Amino acid sequence: MSLFFNQLGWELFRLFARRRTYIGFGVFLAVELLFFYLWTHERTQKDMEQFISRVAGGFDEYFSALTLGFLIVAFTMLLLGVVFVALIAGDILAKETEDGNLRLILVRPVSRLRLLLVKFLSCQIYTSFLFLFVGVTALAFGILERGWGGGMLVWTPELPRVSLFEWNEGLFRYFLAIFGFSLIYLPVTGMAFMLGCFKIKPAAATILTVAFCVADRVLSSIPIPAFDPYRDYFITSRMTAWLFLLYQDIPWARLLESSAWLFGFGLTGFLIGWMAFERRDVKS
Amino acid sequence: MLQFNCVSKRFPGAVKPALDEVSFSVGKGRICGLLGHNGAGKSTALGVLLGMIHPDSGEAFIGGVSVQQSREAAVSRVGAIFEAPAFYDYLSGWRNLKVLTAYSGGVPESLMRETVAWVGLEKRIFDRVSTYSHGMRQRLALAQALLPEPELLILDEPTDGLDPGGIVEFRHQVLELRDRLGLTVLLSSHLLTEVEQICDEVVILQGGCKVYEGAVSGFQDGRKFYRIDSENDKLTRKLCTDLGGEVFGDKVAFPVEKNPADLLTALVAKGARLSRFAPEAGSLETLYLQFSQSTPESGVETGAQIR
Repeated sequence: MSLFFNQLGWELFRLFARRRTYIGFGVFLAVELLFFYLWTHERTQKDMEQFISRVAGGFDEYFSALTLGFLIVAFTMLLLGVVFVALIAGDILAKETEDGNLRLILVRPVSRLRLLLVKFLSCQIYTSFLFLFVGVTALAFGILERGWGGGMLVWTPELPRVSLFEWNEGLFRYFLAIFGFSLIYLPVTGMAFMLGCFKIKPAAATILTVAFCVADRVLSSIPIPAFDPYRDYFITSRMTAWLFLLYQDIPWARLLESSAWLFGFGLTGFLIGWMAFERRDVKS
Repeated sequence: MLQFNCVSKRFPGAVKPALDEVSFSVGKGRICGLLGHNGAGKSTALGVLLGMIHPDSGEAFIGGVSVQQSREAAVSRVGAIFEAPAFYDYLSGWRNLKVLTAYSGGVPESLMRETVAWVGLEKRIFDRVSTYSHGMRQRLALAQALLPEPELLILDEPTDGLDPGGIVEFRHQVLELRDRLGLTVLLSSHLLTEVEQICDEVVILQGGCKVYEGAVSGFQDGRKFYRIDSENDKLTRKLCTDLGGEVFGDKVAFPVEKNPADLLTALVAKGARLSRFAPEAGSLETLYLQFSQSTPESGVETGAQIR
């Protein structure tokens, strides 16, 4: 087991040693700054003031660093999350196969399953780290603008009603949601990783995954009542499950159901990828 | 040490098999050259041996362990170098070795330092691989191949792109490894002089089939090659064979004790209408070209040499 963690450690080291990792982080930071600007713009603040005064009472209390951080994280991830996660997971195996790095590893006494597990887990850990980075930097922007303290207000169309938290509870929920947010991307990781296990260009694995997610989102949003019974079968519908962690009372049963569904989808992707990779000939 | 048992492989969509019932073996401590044109099946054979390519039938064994049945056990003491080895360019040579050896179960740092010094990279090992020359990459490739402390070293076109000095140095290193550590080496190359200088034996592949397996010295020592042109080719070939020669296309190998003048006289006396009878240097190149120009289907006229 310690050997597995050693391999995982070096794989993570390798991922974090790449220059483009930090370019990716830089892109996220730039988009966060964009949303920070938009949410703190005078006109937006006026609208927010009206809305918060209507649903919670005190604008100064609830338009806090946590609320601002949540808004920045949610919109940044909505814009870049799927693309970036698909890029990492689609790239990690397909790119190494294409570049020839994998040959030097495959000659070693390591099973393909173990190799895939190391790569897949490193993708997932990397994704969680990225989300944590976005969460921390968004909160930092919030604190710079609104200072420490205050309450947290969360509202999205998925929530049944506005959630209001005190600072400490809000801080806990904020980071819990960030963690949950990174885990619900498991199906995206699973799918891009699965495609990367086939003989495919790295970019193709990413593009196909993003295209699938966009199509899934569009189909799940079609406002036809006859579609309602099937809406839960779309992964992007299930991927809003992270917001359950921001409900005033967390609906654990629904959260568990969606998590199991998403985990099952990700695991299926991994297993199909493994079977394909196990049978694949890697030419030297 | 290494055995190929009737291995066949046809890639999806391919008209011809990449390997067609290929069998050969290499004894412990021997250096074997794997020769063949592009597409002859050399890389596929190495892929099968390393478990990277799944054969349709047959098996490869390393140290008596089947690669197809227990790959991890079979390749646990194998080191390999590929043509143009791809490292992580953004990491140092040292970090690359760390990443790669982690997949071999890890090796002590003292052994890593010793190996790095032996390949002559100690001054640049902490520099990024992106700053390495081709020769330095090849040294790093040798270091990573040696770090599992292998018993079998597989070298796929290892000197491609090296300057003449680098080729000579690499040759000395391989010979030293064999002599000092008793390593078995399988060397895939198209540089015939290189194979001739370091290999004990060769396997020649042509169109996925093995057309020759034997000692390198076996066809140099004790024989002399002649190039023969004649107006009655069929009869001349038969006469040559009757006189103890082995026919390779338009070349014939006779035992060195046969006097060329006697041979010429005998052939002419028995009716061969010769337009040329010229001695040629007996080299691996001569043999290789003969085999590689004759497809197995057409039947190579090499008598006992074909196994």
